[in-house]
Amino acid sequence: MRSPQVLIVGAGSTGAATAHDLALRGFRVTVIERGEVASGTTGRNHCLLHSGGRYCVTDHESAIECIDENLILRKIMPDLLELNDGLFVAISESDLAFKERFLEGCATCHIPARDIPVKEVLAMEPFLNPGVLAAIQVPDGVFEPFRFCLAFLATARLHGADVRTYSEVIGFVRSTNCVTGVKVQDRRTGKSETIGADLVVNAAGPWAAEIAAKAGVRIPEVPTAGVMVALDCRLNNMVVNRLNKPSDGDIVVPQRATSVIGTTSWVVENPDLISIPPEHVARMIRQGEQLLPEVRNAPMRAKMAVARPLIARPGEDARQVSRTFECFDHASDGVNGFITIAGGKTTTARAMAERVADIVCKKLDVDTPCTTRELPLASYRLFYQ
Amino acid sequence: MNMLEVPLEIFRYKEGEPPHHDTFTVQVPETAHVIDAIDAVWAMHDRSLVFRRACHHSSCGSCSLRVNGVEMLPCITRVKDVWDGRAPLRLDPLRNFPVVSDLVVDLSSFFQRMSAAEMTITCDAESSLPLSVDDFAVSKIPSRAVELPVNLSRFNRFENCIECAICMSACPTMATDEKFFGPAALAAIFRARQKTDSPADVAHLLSLADGEHGVWRCHSAFECTAACPQAVDPAGKIMALRRELITRRFKKR
Amino acid sequence: MATLNYSRIRRTGRWVDVRRRKLGMWAYALNRITGIGLVVYLYLHLGVLSMLAHGQSSWDSFTALARSPFYLALDVILLAIILIHGLNGIRVALTGFDIGVRVQKRLFVILMLIAAAALVVAAAKIFAV
Repeated sequence: MRSPQVLIVGAGSTGAATAHDLALRGFRVTVIERGEVASGTTGRNHCLLHSGGRYCVTDHESAIECIDENLILRKIMPDLLELNDGLFVAISESDLAFKERFLEGCATCHIPARDIPVKEVLAMEPFLNPGVLAAIQVPDGVFEPFRFCLAFLATARLHGADVRTYSEVIGFVRSTNCVTGVKVQDRRTGKSETIGADLVVNAAGPWAAEIAAKAGVRIPEVPTAGVMVALDCRLNNMVVNRLNKPSDGDIVVPQRATSVIGTTSWVVENPDLISIPPEHVARMIRQGEQLLPEVRNAPMRAKMAVARPLIARPGEDARQVSRTFECFDHASDGVNGFITIAGGKTTTARAMAERVADIVCKKLDVDTPCTTRELPLASYRLFYQ
Repeated sequence: MNMLEVPLEIFRYKEGEPPHHDTFTVQVPETAHVIDAIDAVWAMHDRSLVFRRACHHSSCGSCSLRVNGVEMLPCITRVKDVWDGRAPLRLDPLRNFPVVSDLVVDLSSFFQRMSAAEMTITCDAESSLPLSVDDFAVSKIPSRAVELPVNLSRFNRFENCIECAICMSACPTMATDEKFFGPAALAAIFRARQKTDSPADVAHLLSLADGEHGVWRCHSAFECTAACPQAVDPAGKIMALRRELITRRFKKR
Repeated sequence: MATLNYSRIRRTGRWVDVRRRKLGMWAYALNRITGIGLVVYLYLHLGVLSMLAHGQSSWDSFTALARSPFYLALDVILLAIILIHGLNGIRVALTGFDIGVRVQKRLFVILMLIAAAALVVAAAKIFAV
């Protein structure tokens, strides 16, 4: 008996990690992506491998998930990460007052945290604001979302998955109240074809609502964009975060020869074309200057913006698998064989994929456990070979 | 925010049809990068346009193409820096690789060579900041020494090379010899060789470089180094490999 | 899937396209062209020398031709080719062994200035004949 065929729409971190998990569990997997791998939200993310520190006060569940996945990714993709740890720094009195709760939060969420004397931290990060009042070191890291996705997909391909880039879902094939496949247009040739599936997984990020609409289903999605500014030089070796509750422009992520300041948040009409508001860029520079004053003299190399796939009303239509992402089973909307995943962050993509794959297994009556925690990923270069 | 009305002439190819250029005019902010103009063409004018991009900040290397015949990364190239204000901006795919469609080329042979070079993309980092691939960017910022945190044995970072294949497109030897390993792969061999102590690995890497389509095929055009957006200096690395190969030949005698 | 090997210039001719290229590429193209020129010249030279085998009058008519202004101009062009190829060749040899790679552009400019100066002096002497 042939194993079930699962079709995944979207090759961002959600689609890539889910394809990987399902392929390892023996499903026949096809990934349909209308652009290049990670050409949507995932590609333009902040590249931060979260330690969980950012959430350790306000959202324990997210924080614990982050630190757990952080350690797993260090095992399965060791050569794709910059591992220089990160700092949470206090610049203002309000930041300083947050320190106690932050350290408590780290302890509760088992995030290793080290309180560093100011003199020591300025030797470690010479461009840090010399007025820094306190600093805590945590195991933040840096990844490249593009190669992150390529590595998952390369491994999935080695296990039989078929990944079709530049292919767009233009419609669904239905039989009574069930999705049995998709109509796909190969954008390289203009030709269309139909691909059958036992289950379609919608992992299209901010375009998930658009895809779901093609199946006659509504998702309360609110594409919410954010701007990031990449400098022409790298001013920090370690990730630098503001020691306080999450806010705009409070993280500077270094990578290769650049430092990236981010991010902001505003709702966008059309996730296909986002106009970057200059005030947001200016705000990133101002916020970045507070952490690393030399930001004001550093030329800008690039700026990027992309929409996050946020959900308007969590809980009502969605089956909340965790606080961090949601899975809509459209059987409850009268459309079987079709589920949508929304939310999540790249750091925890593997964990999200594990839970989605568990749901897929249950729906398709398959009983195979997840093996993605241990298996080192194949070389990302294999994706193109 | 001032807007620009930018005309673009974009190379188009779909299987079974003759290749040609299509003209579009888009409105973008004056601070826009070329990738924003391409995005505008796709979003507002022609959804059939096929192009690559992911990170929009020169880390993935996927968006590389030619603007007015010269290879560059559109995500870090501002429209104002390449547009004279009148003539259309001509966009073409990279050279020396088969075109899949429009601005996308088939890079499988490139990645095969990069795999063969076996360079890991992370390496030990400098002990001073700031770092930049652009001399000008750091010339105004005085460098400072950095101390390691106590629990880290070293800093690390990604290699400069982002595998954008711009050097492979710019290289005249790549144009004439299909099997030439290419500047990126040879530079990667050099980096891989620098990062290993194992005599067996070194011997293997050097024999790859010494091969029929290795470093000796380079004819010193230095176009790769000139075109590289990440200051990898592949030509310099090719010459350094040659120096090592020759030194070893003499030592053997 | 079907791909297109797209080039406006046939594969073997692609190195000739120096439009919008940098100095190193110009040096490369020049070296190739002058190299071809030298090979062509070699054959011509052998052809000329073979006239020696055809006796005194054949050689004499050649030397008369060799004094004509047109021929002297060709000589100057030949000298230019030799100087460019030879001096740039020094640069190629040095950089090819990892010497002076960082200054290869400056090296090219300096060597071509030397070539130009030598050419001017030589041309003056040639036409003074």
